Amino acid sequence: MLNAQITKSRRGFKVHAELQLHLGDALALFGASGAGKSTILACIAGIEDPDEGSVQFDGLRFFPPHLPLHQRPLGYLTQDPGLFPHLTVGENVLFGVRDRAASPQETEWIETLKQRLQLAPLWSAGAASISGGQARRVGLARMLARRPPLVLLDEPFAGLDRQSVRELIDDLNLWRRSEGFSLIAVDHQAEVLERLCPEQVMVMEAGRVVQRGSWEDLVTSPATPLLRSLLAPL
Amino acid sequence: MINHRNWLRLGAFAFILALLYPFVGLLTHVGGWKLGPEFRGSALASVRVSILLTALAMVIIAAFGTPVAAYIARCRTRERLLWQALLLLPILLPPLALGILLTLAFGPDSVIGSLLLRLKVEMTNSATAFTVTQVYVGMGYYVLGAVAAFDSVPSILQQQAALLGVPPAKVFFRVTLPLSRLGLAVALSIAWVRAIGEFGAVVVTAYYPSGIPVQLWVNLQSFGLPSVMPLMVIFLLVALPLPWLVHVLAQYRRDA
Repeated sequence: MLNAQITKSRRGFKVHAELQLHLGDALALFGASGAGKSTILACIAGIEDPDEGSVQFDGLRFFPPHLPLHQRPLGYLTQDPGLFPHLTVGENVLFGVRDRAASPQETEWIETLKQRLQLAPLWSAGAASISGGQARRVGLARMLARRPPLVLLDEPFAGLDRQSVRELIDDLNLWRRSEGFSLIAVDHQAEVLERLCPEQVMVMEAGRVVQRGSWEDLVTSPATPLLRSLLAPL
Repeated sequence: MINHRNWLRLGAFAFILALLYPFVGLLTHVGGWKLGPEFRGSALASVRVSILLTALAMVIIAAFGTPVAAYIARCRTRERLLWQALLLLPILLPPLALGILLTLAFGPDSVIGSLLLRLKVEMTNSATAFTVTQVYVGMGYYVLGAVAAFDSVPSILQQQAALLGVPPAKVFFRVTLPLSRLGLAVALSIAWVRAIGEFGAVVVTAYYPSGIPVQLWVNLQSFGLPSVMPLMVIFLLVALPLPWLVHVLAQYRRDA
């Protein structure tokens, strides 16, 4: 279970959130740009440390004190997947599992990722030479290759076409059920988040949590005028 | 009709021509070049000293400078500023002053100098003195260049590598170093050029064994230009091509 109380100062306001997430559950973090959603994910991943609070996952304390990034059993994917440009697509995907002796199950899992995310034709290509959409798929495969029990997604589908987003979300949902990882996803597009994390949503505004619950509650009784505006069709 | 762009190109060409003009000196008639055995021995010895001992200095610079640069690149702004300000000191020091300070600091009257002397390590007019001077001359240039090379690696790549469960040392060797190697090569080539061409500091600390710059000066003083020209050509061939190629390659990679 993830248990986090995070307080972090940002220019002009303070981000504060408390969240609990059971193993295998998915939580959507929704809100306008600059509401503090990415800060929460960055504090859980360890890219930043909270000013106050604590983060604990499955009995392992992430903070305080700061647990080094490589000791955190999680995957973190952002809009920029951060592929290693000097390596091939295949080397990128295998980067986190290279040093481990691969079991038949692991080999099969990598093969599944390779096929489902359509990476086979790109496998030997340089990571610097592929398109943005392909890079996002490689980033996803690389993150999932080591089977993290906690997955953090920070607008990983921004800029992708609807068909690609739909396929990626369907794959992620399938793997969340089969692999049993917990998921926290951040986006400012409600339809993306609702498809990815249908069970529960937490809404943030200016660093504060203004509503949490089901998507149905959110749509029928939005807590703030801004939230109502964010959910309204264009 | 010459268009605007071609006027600019013409201007740039004239500028480069003026900048490279001193190379015309190589074609100037200074009398017959002196290549006799009395010059050949000392010339070859100075080439050997310059190449071998500067290469040794570069190994020392890379071995000690790279981890320091990697550390500084990860420092926060204030601490980094402090380190960089300190690294600038030996760079900004006039070479002659650096030579005098090195002689005093490592001389027999200093604590370190007397200790080294007891260990039979000569710190003036010796290969050790020559190498140590080269290290002091080149180290600041290398470390500052290496910090810039490490800075050019986006931090998100190192974070992603760590979040894939890879410990910091492996992240350095598998991500940071490969992505900054060209920048490191450029930094080392600057240190090489700076060190192999050093005269002011070396002439004070290590008149013997003479490197190429000191030998050039000795030949110029004693025998005039005809004895300098062959050694100067050798010096240009030894000192310039490698760093020149590294820089051109780095520029090409950056622009590609």
